[in-house]
Amino acid sequence: MAIWLKKILLIICAVLVVWVHQAASAMSPLEQVRVTVDQVIEILRQSELQGEARRKVLSELVRSRFDFVIMSQRTLGQHWKKASAEEQAEFVSLFSDLLEASYIGRLDDYTDETVSYNSEKIDGKRAVVATVVHSSNTDIPIDYRMVNKGNDWFVYDVLVEDISLIKNYRSSYGEIVRKEGYAGLFERMRKKITELQDQPGADGGKT
Amino acid sequence: MPYLARIILLLLICLAFGTHMSWAAESADGAAAQPESAEAEIDWTELDEGDEELEVWDPIEPFNRGMFWFNDKLYFYLLKPVAKGYRFIAPESVRESVGNFFHNLAAPVRVLNSLLQGKGTVAAAELSIFMVNSTWGIAGLFDLAPDDMVKPDAEDFGQTMGHYGMPSGFYLVLPVFGPTNARDAVGLVADSLTHPVPSPFYLKMKPLEVAGIQTYDTVNELSLDKDTYESIKQDALDPYLFVRSSFMQKRAAKIEK
Repeated sequence: MAIWLKKILLIICAVLVVWVHQAASAMSPLEQVRVTVDQVIEILRQSELQGEARRKVLSELVRSRFDFVIMSQRTLGQHWKKASAEEQAEFVSLFSDLLEASYIGRLDDYTDETVSYNSEKIDGKRAVVATVVHSSNTDIPIDYRMVNKGNDWFVYDVLVEDISLIKNYRSSYGEIVRKEGYAGLFERMRKKITELQDQPGADGGKT
Repeated sequence: MPYLARIILLLLICLAFGTHMSWAAESADGAAAQPESAEAEIDWTELDEGDEELEVWDPIEPFNRGMFWFNDKLYFYLLKPVAKGYRFIAPESVRESVGNFFHNLAAPVRVLNSLLQGKGTVAAAELSIFMVNSTWGIAGLFDLAPDDMVKPDAEDFGQTMGHYGMPSGFYLVLPVFGPTNARDAVGLVADSLTHPVPSPFYLKMKPLEVAGIQTYDTVNELSLDKDTYESIKQDALDPYLFVRSSFMQKRAAKIEK
C-alpha cells in the first residue's frame, strides 16, 4: 500500500480517537471502558493498519484512558513519597513505556475474542468495571479500577482473573528499590524496555 | 461488669471529644485551614481499603528461588518441548477433550470441598455437571454444560481451610508442583486422598502410574496454554516475585469466593 494512503488512514484514526474521546465525556465508567476497548478491537480487526502505524494508534488510544501517574504512585507505594520530583517523573515515563512495550505487542495475538461489559460499581471518585473476554476456549474476567477526574474516568489498575497488575509490580519494584535504589531500578527498567522492543510479539507458539 | 462498660464508654467519649476539640483549636488559629472539599485527597500510594497489601511471608526464599530455578529448567527443557511435540501430533479438539476428561475426573474433590464449605448450590452444580458429562459426555470427554453457564469456581481443600480462617502460612515452591504455601501444600495432600488417580482408597494405582497420568495431564494442559509463563518471564523484572504475588493474590481471591 502506498505510504500516503497509510498516512491518511492514520490521520483518520487519530481524528476518530479525538472525536470519540470528546464524545466520551460525562459517560459512566463502564461506557468509557466500552468505548476504548471497542475502539481497540475495531483497530485490531482492520487489516489495513499494520505494524508501526497500528502500534502508534493503539498506544495513543490506550494512553488516553490510563492514568500513569496514579499507577506509578501505587506501584511504588511508600517509596514514591521518598523519591525526588525528578525520580518520580523518570519513573512515570519509564513505567508507561514498560507497560506499553509489554502489553501492546500482546494485542497482535488478537483473533476473534469478544468482550462483554458486565457491571460497574461506583464509589465516590472511584469505580470498578467488570468485563469478560471471551475467546474460543476460555473466558477471562478482566476488571478495571477507575478514578474520576472532571468528566472523565481513568484506569489506574487492571485485574486479570482477580490478580491486580499493580500489586504484582508493586511487590517486585519495592524490593528492587530497597536493595538497589532508584538508579538500579531505572537501569533494570531501561534494559527491559529495550529487550521488549527488540523482539516485538512473544515467540509464536500458539495452541 | 456494667461499671467497666461505663468507664470504657466514658473513655471513648472523652477521646472523641478530645480529638474533636484539638482539631477545632487547630483550625481556629491555623489561617490555612483545610479546604471545604467533601472528598478528602486520596492517598494513591496506599492500596484500596479492605484490600490491604498482601504481605507474603517468605522465610525460605533462598530455597524457594532454588526450586523456582529448577522448575524453570524443567519447564523449558523438558515439559514445554514435549508439550510442543504433542501439540504437533494431536489436534486441538482432541487435546481439549483430554482436558475435559481430566477436569471431570477431579469432580469428587470439588464436590466434597464445596460441601465442606457449606456451598450447597456449588456442590449441586458440580455434581450435576459431573453426572451429565460422565454419561452423555462419554466419561467427561465432552463438556455439555451450556456456553453461557457460569462455571463454578473449583474448590479444593486449601480453600476449605482458608474458608474457615486458617492463614496461608509461608510461601513455598515445590519441585514439579510449583508455587504453593504451607496451608495449600497440606490441602494438596488431603485432596490426593479423594482424587481418583492418586487416592489410595478406590482405584489403588501404583505410584508410577499415578505420576505418569499426572504428567500427561500437565503436558496436555501446557499444550493448550498460550505461553503464559513465557510472557511472565519476558515482562517481569523479577519473575520469581511476580509469580509469588500472582499466586498469593489468586488464592486469596478464590477463598473469598
